[in-house]
Parts: sequence; C-alpha cells; structure tokens
Amino acid sequence: MTSSTDRTSDRTSDPATDLLIAAYRGYLRVFAQGRLANHLSPAAPVRRAGFDIDVTVVDRTLVAEDVVSITLARPDGTALPAWTPGAHLDVFLPSGLQRQYSLCGDPADRSSYRIAVRRVAGGSGSHEVHDQLEVGDPLTVRGPRNAFLLVPERSYLFVAAGIGITPILPMVTRAEASGAAWRLVYLGRSRATMPFLDDLELYGDRVVVRTDDEHGVPSAEGVLALGRTGEAPLPPAVYLCGPPPLIDAARTLVRPLAPHSRLFSERFSAPPVRGGEPFSVTLARSGRLVQVAEDESLLTVLRREVPGVAYSCQQGFCGTCKVRVLSGEIDHRDKLLLPAEREELLLACSSRGRGPLVLDL
Amino acid sequence: MAHVPTATAPDGAPYDEEALAIHAREMDFCWDDVPLHYIPGRMVATHVYNCMHLLLPEGEKAMSAALAQALPLIDDPRLAEEVVGFIGQEATHADSHGGMLERLVDLGLDARPVLRRLDKLISVIMADYGGHRIRHHLLCERLALFSALEHFTAVWGKFFLESEGLAESGMHPMVLDLLKWHGAEEVEHRSVVFDAFQYVDGSYARRVRMGVLGSLALAAAGFMTLGYLVAKDPERTRTRNPWKRYVAPVLEFLRATRDRVIPNTLGFLTEIPVYARRDFHPSQLDGMDLAVRYLAQAPIRHHGDRAA
Repeated sequence: MTSSTDRTSDRTSDPATDLLIAAYRGYLRVFAQGRLANHLSPAAPVRRAGFDIDVTVVDRTLVAEDVVSITLARPDGTALPAWTPGAHLDVFLPSGLQRQYSLCGDPADRSSYRIAVRRVAGGSGSHEVHDQLEVGDPLTVRGPRNAFLLVPERSYLFVAAGIGITPILPMVTRAEASGAAWRLVYLGRSRATMPFLDDLELYGDRVVVRTDDEHGVPSAEGVLALGRTGEAPLPPAVYLCGPPPLIDAARTLVRPLAPHSRLFSERFSAPPVRGGEPFSVTLARSGRLVQVAEDESLLTVLRREVPGVAYSCQQGFCGTCKVRVLSGEIDHRDKLLLPAEREELLLACSSRGRGPLVLDL
Repeated sequence: MAHVPTATAPDGAPYDEEALAIHAREMDFCWDDVPLHYIPGRMVATHVYNCMHLLLPEGEKAMSAALAQALPLIDDPRLAEEVVGFIGQEATHADSHGGMLERLVDLGLDARPVLRRLDKLISVIMADYGGHRIRHHLLCERLALFSALEHFTAVWGKFFLESEGLAESGMHPMVLDLLKWHGAEEVEHRSVVFDAFQYVDGSYARRVRMGVLGSLALAAAGFMTLGYLVAKDPERTRTRNPWKRYVAPVLEFLRATRDRVIPNTLGFLTEIPVYARRDFHPSQLDGMDLAVRYLAQAPIRHHGDRAA
C-alpha cells in the first residue's frame, strides 16, 4: 500500500508505530524465537472429529411418484449430531458421486436422519439412489450442515415447490411447536408427485396445495397472494425452497410489496447463467473439443461429455467440481477458491472461459 | 433458538451439532453519493467508522493469508471448510471496505500515512523467518492475535446489527448496510479463527497473552488512527482554540458512545476477561438470529442479478 508519490510522510518519523513494532518484535524474540518458547506456550490442541459419519440405510420408502425417502442410522444405533430445520447432508454414494440432500425427518430423533430424493432426468446421483440403494447398504455422509436457518418469528409463510418440501417440512413442524402462526403454499406438478401430503393433512387449510395439472403453473405473485389471508400483510419471514426462477421472481416481489418481510431461500438446482459468452473447451486427456453455449454452465457440458465428473452443490459453494486448467484465460465467478488456486483451477459450476480453455479432463 | 451454540469441547470429542455453512456473498455496493461526513452532524463518529475502512482492507487480507497458511495443517474437513469460507468472506469484506476507502480518498481524506504505518505493522506480523520450530510459533502467535481481534469484530458486528442508536443516526444507508453485512458475517464466522487456533496450537497461555496484547494493540492502533483522521479532517475549520481543537472532539466521541452510534470502546478492556476465560468459546456470544435475519434482506447480489 506504500505510495511512491508522497515522500514527505516517509520521512516523518512516527514514534508510536515504531514503538508498537519494536514491542512486537521483542515479544516474538521471547515467545517465538526464544529457547523457552515451547514452555511459555505449551501446545494443547483441541481437534474435533466426526464430520464424516458412516451410516447404514435402515429404511427405503417410495413416498410419491419418483420420490424415495431414505432413512440412515449409525450401524450401532448411537446418537447422530443434532440438527435444526433447514440442514442438509453431503451423501457420498457407493459409486463415488457426492450429492447434498436436505434433512426432512424429525430433529428430535437423534438416532436417524431422513432424506427424500426425487428421480431427476439425467441425474446420475438420483438414479443411483433410486435404482441401487438398498436397506442395509453402508454409506458415508458429511454434516449435517445448515445454510437455511429458521429464525424465531411469530408468523411465517413457507413456500415449497416440488422436492423443495424437504427442508420446509421440519420448519413447519418447528413453527407449529413454537406456537407461531404459519401457512404453507406447496406447489407441484400433480398430487401424485408430491411427497408428504398425508403428513401435512392434519394442518387443514393452513397448507395450500397447488398443482400444475389442476390450477396451471403458478406465478410468483399468485404464490405470495395465496400466502396472505385477505389483505393482511406478508408475515415477517418468508421461507422458500424451489427452482431458481421462482426464487428470483419472489425476491423482486417481496421487497416492494412487504419491506418488513424477509425472504429466506434455498435453491436445489443450479442458478441460470447470466451474462455468459460462448467458449470452447478442449478435454486434454481425450483431445475432444466441446462448445459451451452462452446460457449453459461449463459443468452442464462436462456432465454431458465426461461420465462421473465430480460436482455437488452447483452454486460455487462446495468446491467439488474443481477442474485443473492447462491453458486459457479463466472468468472466475466463485468466491470459494483461494487466490493461489485461481491460477490453475476453476469451479466448473460457476466459472467460464474468456476464450478457449484446455482442461485436465 | 435457530442455532445451538457449540460448547467448549475437549480434544478429540466428536461433533454433536450441525455445522453452519459459511459462504462468501457478493454485495452490490455503490459509494458514489456517500458524503465525507456520512453520519450527519457526527464528524468524530464518522471517523471512528473510517478507522475501519482504513484498517480493515489490509488487516483482513493478512488474516486471510494467515488462515490460508494454517489450512494445510487442518485435517478436520469441517474446520477446513469453515476456514475456506472464512477466507472468502474476509476477501469480500476487504474489497468492500477498500471501495469505501477509495471514495473517502476521492473526497479529500489523506489515508496514505495511516496505510503506510499499517503496512509496516502487518509486514512484521506476517514475517516468517527461522527454522521450522520458530516458523510454527510465529504462525501460532499470528493465529492467536487474529483470534483475539476476531472476538472484537464479532462483538462489534453484533452491535452494528442491534444498535438502535446507530440505525437512527442518519448514517448513509449504503455505509450502514456495509457495516451490518460485515457485522453479520463476523457473527456468522466468529468461531472459525478461534477454532483454527485451538486446532493448530491451543496453548491457553498464548491465547490469554494475545488476548491482552491484541486488545491493547488494537485500541492503540484505533485511537492513533482516529486522532489522525480527526486532526486531518478536510472539512474541519482550522482553529487554535484548544477547547475546540482537543476537548470538543473528545466530548463528541463520548456523546456518540452514549447514544450508541459507536460501540463502547471500554470493550477493549472489559472484553479481555471474557476472552481469557478458560472455557470461553466464541459461540457463547449470541446474535446469530440477528445475523441471519439481516442477511436475508441485505443488498446481496443474487445470481439472477449478475448481468445487471
């Protein structure tokens, strides 16, 4: 930060800073360089364990068309780490694929975790869960981790679209237990495709179910209108889990409509690519040349071209889709990679090439 | 309670609670219409916050660099991902305060002498020399220092989120958002540097020593910077009247403290015994709900806005 344009202040002595620096150097001479350094600071590291957990599939139930619920427990049945509504797990599937799934069971039950997985067209992770995972199979999970915390409020509006019900379901239970007023708008293609409708039935008309086949595809305006009772304002907290376009539309609506309401959201798929330019990618190991269109992510193309390519969150958070770049200029669009890594790595889910890239794949 | 704080755990204890995901958020800030005195009628309080815009960009970069040095030593995937998230958040904080600092320089604030002093200080803190053993001690001292400083950023972060005096001070909304967002993320990642220090070293003597020295050094650096900024304020009328020159700013500082426009700087002393308690853990500081609530409405650049 030293500027060469101002020489005068360089010459200005600054006794206070010099004193601070001299004191710190003296301190380090004793406590870092001194003979007794080890004794003056006896190391007593505190290292925790158990972020990765070995579990077994103890139950597998089809809870809707193409949605399977999987219950996991430790082989010895001992307690699992506690979690709160909104938490998710990283699941390492036997094939090596890694996926994140929201916990949708009861947080008070410390003996098991429940996730629910929808079969997605072209989704190799969801296909593996649906077609290969059996009761008794061992799995490794990492977590739980929460990026969608439920804050205490007196009233809530919950909006879940499709499989987005998974984090919302424990939130509803928690809101109900805390005595808060709440309403849930639950959207789906048809009732047959929507899990947990039976569980939600006991809440009566506080759960509003809207299906595309009966009511048409809803607009974000329509959804928010369903969440209000008459002319009452939106509640202070709106929790929304659904596809990116619905979240973006709701976000632009909530602020002017209800400045005192807060929208908490979690997406379960990749955000749309904005401001992207097409670029070409050479896969060095096979020599193949592929094109990335302006509206698709590099990861989308890699998933098409390279079977088993590693990825998980698709939002630039988890770092699973790190790829080594052998040449080309990178347009980094993530906030995860360390500065030293940015020279030769990119996150395929978020970042792009400014011109052709050559990847170590 | 949305998030149950982790109590101090013994070495080797398995995690018994969920982790909190720590991600950097891109912010949409624009400083073009921020005036020099962005808290109307409160020149001294404005400069208290300017100290942050001056000290934080380089300070947080140094902190990120120290944590990046510690990362290869951390074998626990949970702490490692928290450290990576922390580094990303600190980098965006440094960028945002840096943008604000550029605006202040454009408005006539001469930041260079302060930045030069800070640069000297940081180069001493970050210097590596000697053999393996000395280098390890230097890293541990650095982590202990930054862990102590992070305690203050978390305490202040909570203050930014909850102080009505600050909210009603008339501070320019963009600067208030900068403070609240920064404060919320400081509350969110309050445990990371402490846990990294505990993992790599964990020496209680070192924690207490740096708790005391770090607090006093931060207070010294802060007050020196504040004195400089008040003395050099470009819009302040030059006067030889000792009352106006020396006493009036002190009274203004005390008024800003009383009105909770700025955090109480006695905290530099009163937080030391808190931090030095043997069973202290940063998660004992509450405020997570405030942070989560604020972040839900912060001017975060969402993916959909990228083209804008």
